[in-house]
Amino acid sequence: MRLIVDGQPIEFDAGDSALIAMLRAGIHPTGGGCLCLGGDCPHCLATVDGVSYTRTCETPARPGMIVERHPREGYPPLPLNNPAAAEEVKARNVHCDVAVIGAGDSGKAAAEEAERSGKRVITLDAKRGQEVVGVYPGPLVVARTPDGMLHVHPREEIIIATGAAEIQPVAPGNDLAGIVTARAASQLAAVGVPLGRVVAVGARPENAEATVADGQLIRFEGNGKVEAVIVRGADGNEKRIECDTVSVGLGLSPRDVLLRMGSGLAIRAVGNAAREPELPACPTSGVVCSCSGVTADDLQRVWDSGFRELELVKRATLAGTGPCQGSVCVPHIRSFLKERGGELQAPFTARPANRQPTLGEVAAGAHHRATPRTALDAEHRRLGARMDRIGGWWRPWNYGDTRAEYWAVREAVSIGDVSTLGKMIVSGPDALELLERLYPTQVSTIAPGRSRYVLLLDERGYVLDDGLICCDGASRYGLTFTSGGSSFAEMWVRDWAETWNLDVRILNQTMSLGAINVTGPLSKELLARAGFTRPMRHMEHTMATVAGVECRIFRLSFTGELSFELHHPAEQSAELWRSLMALGTDLGIKPHGIQTLLQLRLEKGHVIVGQDTDFDSTPRRIDMEWAVRLDKADFVGRQAVLRTNKAPLDKQLVGLEMDAPAPVEGAVIWRGSEYAGYVTSSAQSHALGKAVMLGWVKLFDGVLPTELTIDGRAARRVSLPFYDKEGRRARA
Amino acid sequence: MLALNRIHATRIVATPSALDSAQWPDDRLVFRIAADEALITPPMANAVVSDPYAIVVADSGFAGAWLPMEEALPLLEHACEWELPRERPAFAQGSVAGIPAKLWIEKDRVLLIVPAPFVADFEERMA
Amino acid sequence: MNEFQEKKIKFAWPEPKRSYDVVIVGGGGHGLATAYYLAARHGITNVAVLERKYIGAGNSGRNTTIIRANYGIPEAVRFYQRSLELYKHLEAETDRWIMHKQKGLLNVAHTESALRTERARAEVNTAFGAKTEFVAPKEIKEICPQIDLTGGNVWPVLGGSYHPEAATARHDRAVWAFAEGAMKRGVHVHQRIEVRGLTMSGGRVTGVETSAGPIAAKAVVGAVGGHVTTLASMAGVRLPIRTHPLQAYVTNHYDLQFDVIASSPGLLFYMSQTARGEMLVGAEIDRQPSYSYGSTYHFLQHCSHRAITLFPFMRSLRILRQWTGVCDMSPDYSPIMGKTGVDGFLVTTGWGTWGFKAIPAGGEQMAQLIASGETPELIAPFGLDRFASDRMMADRGSAGTH
Ligand SMILES: Cc1cc2nc3c(=O)[nH]c(=O)nc-3n(C[C@H](O)[C@H](O)[C@H](O)COP(=O)(O)OP(=O)(O)OC[C@H]3O[C@@H](n4cnc5c(N)ncnc54)[C@H](O)[C@@H]3O)c2cc1C
Repeated sequence: MRLIVDGQPIEFDAGDSALIAMLRAGIHPTGGGCLCLGGDCPHCLATVDGVSYTRTCETPARPGMIVERHPREGYPPLPLNNPAAAEEVKARNVHCDVAVIGAGDSGKAAAEEAERSGKRVITLDAKRGQEVVGVYPGPLVVARTPDGMLHVHPREEIIIATGAAEIQPVAPGNDLAGIVTARAASQLAAVGVPLGRVVAVGARPENAEATVADGQLIRFEGNGKVEAVIVRGADGNEKRIECDTVSVGLGLSPRDVLLRMGSGLAIRAVGNAAREPELPACPTSGVVCSCSGVTADDLQRVWDSGFRELELVKRATLAGTGPCQGSVCVPHIRSFLKERGGELQAPFTARPANRQPTLGEVAAGAHHRATPRTALDAEHRRLGARMDRIGGWWRPWNYGDTRAEYWAVREAVSIGDVSTLGKMIVSGPDALELLERLYPTQVSTIAPGRSRYVLLLDERGYVLDDGLICCDGASRYGLTFTSGGSSFAEMWVRDWAETWNLDVRILNQTMSLGAINVTGPLSKELLARAGFTRPMRHMEHTMATVAGVECRIFRLSFTGELSFELHHPAEQSAELWRSLMALGTDLGIKPHGIQTLLQLRLEKGHVIVGQDTDFDSTPRRIDMEWAVRLDKADFVGRQAVLRTNKAPLDKQLVGLEMDAPAPVEGAVIWRGSEYAGYVTSSAQSHALGKAVMLGWVKLFDGVLPTELTIDGRAARRVSLPFYDKEGRRARA
Repeated sequence: MLALNRIHATRIVATPSALDSAQWPDDRLVFRIAADEALITPPMANAVVSDPYAIVVADSGFAGAWLPMEEALPLLEHACEWELPRERPAFAQGSVAGIPAKLWIEKDRVLLIVPAPFVADFEERMA
Repeated sequence: MNEFQEKKIKFAWPEPKRSYDVVIVGGGGHGLATAYYLAARHGITNVAVLERKYIGAGNSGRNTTIIRANYGIPEAVRFYQRSLELYKHLEAETDRWIMHKQKGLLNVAHTESALRTERARAEVNTAFGAKTEFVAPKEIKEICPQIDLTGGNVWPVLGGSYHPEAATARHDRAVWAFAEGAMKRGVHVHQRIEVRGLTMSGGRVTGVETSAGPIAAKAVVGAVGGHVTTLASMAGVRLPIRTHPLQAYVTNHYDLQFDVIASSPGLLFYMSQTARGEMLVGAEIDRQPSYSYGSTYHFLQHCSHRAITLFPFMRSLRILRQWTGVCDMSPDYSPIMGKTGVDGFLVTTGWGTWGFKAIPAGGEQMAQLIASGETPELIAPFGLDRFASDRMMADRGSAGTH
């Protein structure tokens, strides 16, 4: 069996990791540095099958696997065309009582103990391919495994049994190949990797032949590969011992990163992971952090500059910010700072990721915010609509010919999908009381069968939303909200009802009801053909059957033309839509999209909350004080409106017009050379033959300017609406 | 592939005690989707609860699909971060594949329910 | 590879005195820059900066380092453009390498309404001195060839805006440059001193209570980031600030091949490549207010998912490190700078998720205010009194990220 390293095939044995295979072939993955074979050091990282920074010690060798060593200088390239990585990774959720991380002796014991007391236990171990990425609030333990991500949800406890890492040598020459930790030496011997002459510094490797070098490690010598190790004996003399491999046993440091990462959770460490760290000797020379190439001299340099805190030393040298996350260097840096400053500083914050997952792995199980579709979605697409996300829904932006859509509304008849409107029923003995307190209008004067356009204000007197209140009797009302505002509005209404402890029932029907707006001078004719002939007054609503579908019909107008809004069970939307289209063919019916609707309402000067309003839009600023009854009892925002009305008005949303072409929405408005405001809505009016706009304009010395400049051209402030000033068409 | 169909139901909002004490025929599934709200399918035009202000409406705003348990479990293991209730039958609500969903779990099958406007996304995500 | 040679830097850590003219609470960028400009521009050097941990321990050492001026209202565009200019010259001024690099920032739009926002951004920026242009998908692909314009067939890119002067700088180095520059001129910077109370006398603030004893001051400046409401309440000042966590992460190091700062306000994520080759990815705040510095998997998961949607190559990069800061969010997404209504007590806050870029101008203007007693014109619109007087600086161009 062979894998490919830097283009060269090499043999491997069954059970080999990619690292062992490379070592058998005499290849050091990173050219040099003490190998630990335990996942702690950064010295076996390589690009495996297109994914860089892969720990080859924990990657089982596979036939045909492609290993590329990282460049010695600089970094691996961004994988800008990596087809291998296009595969979707899946995440699996598992639930248990106790999660044990580490299946060594202490982990096994902890798992058995928990199982004996009837707990559901899940044990994860990197040696079995389950690399724990992090421990998170939830609690959640995330692991990468060969067949996807594992999201472990332990109800009760997380037990860290990850053991201890071996302290790495810091001495000149520690970046040579041929240096391994004592445990690694045993493992390599066990699988028959040829080690040559082995010299042991410190604790000797188990089950491996080694000459013991008595004394303190001074340096390694060699050219690329270690040839000798120099130690200072008890007699103070340096001794040079020739060798092919140095085994280093300098003590243990607990693998407690996950424990520290999980602080605040029900988590504890057992076994070696819970031991006190052994502090290595203060480093005097050699590489301390091989991830960032930081030497003992660098530590001294930043110390001399005044970087005294462990965190600042880290930030100044970047030691500890590489793929091993400080597991190699932190013990040495702590030792250095203790020697210089006298104080043993706590290791720096443990941050995920403990083992580096790819973005593809981490994204597993994530989804984009889903964008809801109305029951008419297929109709729109069939009619060739360009769909856009509007107010959080997929809606038809246009059907290809906005001019035709426009004229169908103004001169004939058109239908539009307004199913996305927020729709709510409020019922109960306190229904009226709730609405009186929520809305700035006198709700009690809305008679059954009538509806009213309303603003919704927040406590600061700013406009939150707008919509309708329809009265169905003294204890039952229907409310509508804007498409984008409806989920917030639902929370708002429910929260206040609860806060005031009012006796009401609330049902949100937004997703259950479809709504079609039938608009245009021929809309009455179209409805008559659909079987509805009852006369309705403006702002009236009634129940009736239209083309066989039971509807609640509202007579109202947003487009400026005679209009009826048909609310009906969502499942009948398509049927109703098609019937209306068929019945209106010879009337010139066309559906209109949102782009056209925005222009139609702009010509009528109707405000779109969120587009024309800002976070600080009071009723006075949007020139809609008529919608606010300050003389009624308290309502949300009343105090604020009273207070803010005392200050002089500073800016107002106004109507503006100018010659074509229409400026872009957002264009800056000037009064001479002074900033006056900006345009919020703008369109070239087909009916009026000029550009019409809404925009914010500042008052100058208490006066709204009339003559303005936009895009270097003259614009005028005018009264609203632009179209059909007397409102005859809508009331026809 | 999962295919959801509109659920014909009656939706009732009433005081919790009125819903607690209501009697439902055995041939209906009654999901208590909130303390003050029940979803009943197939619909019951004549549903009665002891709350004069109850809102009782026909509803077709949800869609659902039955899945045999052995198909549902592996799907839910991926799509559902929360632990399914262990008793049977059980009703549960929460995010499934990032979409607000309701589950009715019987001994050997599961009814998956989502608001109809999310059906297309849900079917795609559960594929 | 160790490109960071700090040998030129010389920090001085004197013993604290019992009294200073000005005490600045918080050794983040804003506190240190205020101290620096007090000393460098106004010769006011009897100043102490008190930091409870180490300098830059807060958001100034945790941010995604984006410097831009493409904000949404004239007052903000002017202010941030000033800061952007100061950053350009900071290396020359302080003789310190802060790794400032002009990269350009691309905002992409996935909906008609987002296109409207980007158009509006370009308009107001151009009018007030920041360079921003509206760009079509084709231009976006030229500026950023790695982007998938189909957005994974889920979030197509319909257009956007490009702000060529946007830059990044190494956050720590900016903090150190101001700290050292201040120290060199005699300012005291004290680490590991926590302010625990404000001393009041005759209705004015006269000093601070600290973990190292009381320290008197003629003026106290609160520059404590996400912890500002606690500090201000000690002087009886209520601030309309909510503290929210904000997270970010970096991948491992890769060859420098991604030149621009790319951002999707709709998908709520943004990224750039650091000088060391890490891909640095950020997103929006955690919705739930909190002082927690804990990182969540939810953030990592969703932010990565969004990144892959627009940048499929990111899929096989490995994530190195994830972290969190706590942000002082104001209700109108604009900062709060200056007087508080209590004599002797000033604040510089409301820096939320966007205050790194503001460090030079914020420091400069606060220093001028302290030195002259008059609020400079550039920051007058950002006073705390705007909330009571209904003069919010509602800025959708800021709205929540970087
Ligand atoms: C993840 C993230 C990404 C960001 N990205 C960007 C970006 O791309 N661009 C941008 O412009 N901005 C960004 N920001 C925002 C930016 O980092 C902050 O607005 C800015 O750093 C604030 O600086 P500061 O000096 O006000 O606060 P900080 O840097 O937080 O400093 C406050 C200091 O006060 C200290 N302190 C607190 N309480 C006390 C006390 N009682 N006594 C003494 N000391 C105290 C703290 O320890 C801290 O050091 C980001 C923020 C985060 C968290």
